[in-house]
Amino acid sequence: MLTVGQLSRAELGRRLAGAGIRLGTGRFTTSLRSAIPSVADGIGLLYADYPLRPDDGFADFHLQLTRPRNLRRWLGPQVTLLYDGRSLFKPLPLDQAFPMFEWGLNWCVSSRANRYLIVHAAVIEKHGRAAILPAPPGSGKSTLCAALVGRGGWRLLSDELTLLRLDDGAIVPLPRPVSLKNGAIDVIRDYVPGSVMSRPVTDTVKGTVAHVKAPSASVARAAEVARPGWIVFPRYVPAAALQSEPLARADTFMQLAGNCFNYSLLGAEGFTALADLVDASAGFRFTYSVLDEALAFFDHLAAG
Amino acid sequence: MQLQWRIVPGQTLLHRGWDDACVLYNDLSGDTHLLTGEAMQLLLALRDGDVDPEELAAPELATVLDTLAGLDLIEPC
Repeated sequence: MLTVGQLSRAELGRRLAGAGIRLGTGRFTTSLRSAIPSVADGIGLLYADYPLRPDDGFADFHLQLTRPRNLRRWLGPQVTLLYDGRSLFKPLPLDQAFPMFEWGLNWCVSSRANRYLIVHAAVIEKHGRAAILPAPPGSGKSTLCAALVGRGGWRLLSDELTLLRLDDGAIVPLPRPVSLKNGAIDVIRDYVPGSVMSRPVTDTVKGTVAHVKAPSASVARAAEVARPGWIVFPRYVPAAALQSEPLARADTFMQLAGNCFNYSLLGAEGFTALADLVDASAGFRFTYSVLDEALAFFDHLAAG
Repeated sequence: MQLQWRIVPGQTLLHRGWDDACVLYNDLSGDTHLLTGEAMQLLLALRDGDVDPEELAAPELATVLDTLAGLDLIEPC
């Protein structure tokens, strides 16, 4: 199957600006069109390993990134994201076009893929068992995730969206670039030498953001589901000693429910899926400041 | 006159318990509640008609019954 990386940068740009591409990310296919060069640069750099699905095939999501024709274009160039041809979000500065694609695709999955229970959490796998890392922004979730998949030997299932299959409780991978913010960008650049990272974009609503390419091996195993093993609520605290504390299952359930995108929407089905997940997993509160120590903790989990 | 209680019609009491705590899905509100194991046992006993009126009148149960009523899980009858 043709991958993004098999196209030259010029050909990728031509296709994106023309009829668009159908990008395969795990179970989803996204039809993407854009004539904006930074979008093609980001796709070419971070999605080189991903399959291109047939142009006439089904696409779950239809996205277009374009420059809006409004007065602002004379003052500061902007980008707008069209979903099914409609603009659902405020335009952003043009420099944020590639991050806007990432955020837009996250929105598509989290608001449309309701055959899964979707937790706002990173999820990684080793020896067939998954560790789910739910956490609010600023808790160090993505930094930890990037370190674990970049140096810890864990497989990336997702940095942002844990997809729990409702009928059997399997965790379905959605490996995509890991989103880093502000100081985490330099931390991971130093900690994972050779990591492929997009150009940092400043002054977004999240501060400065950059995306790290998902490991090729994780992308290649995107069809391979995992069983839940652990639910770890991480919290980065500067200079703190590493601390892990088992969390009661009922508390784990309530905290997880609060991190789900569609728990309420799924009703009793969501309750049962989440309860089965908690039944199958050990929960922890986890505080860290040193990545080496954090990786050792996760190694200990996987060996247990 | 002693106050009697029943499960609000429509509640299936879908729940899961671990150690001494339970989570329960409220069919009518769509909310999920964290309950003690004792509160859950009381709900199940009410559903099964397995509580004497004298027991329900005991002052020790007043707080938990008020809490369950406040969550729209039980109602006076």
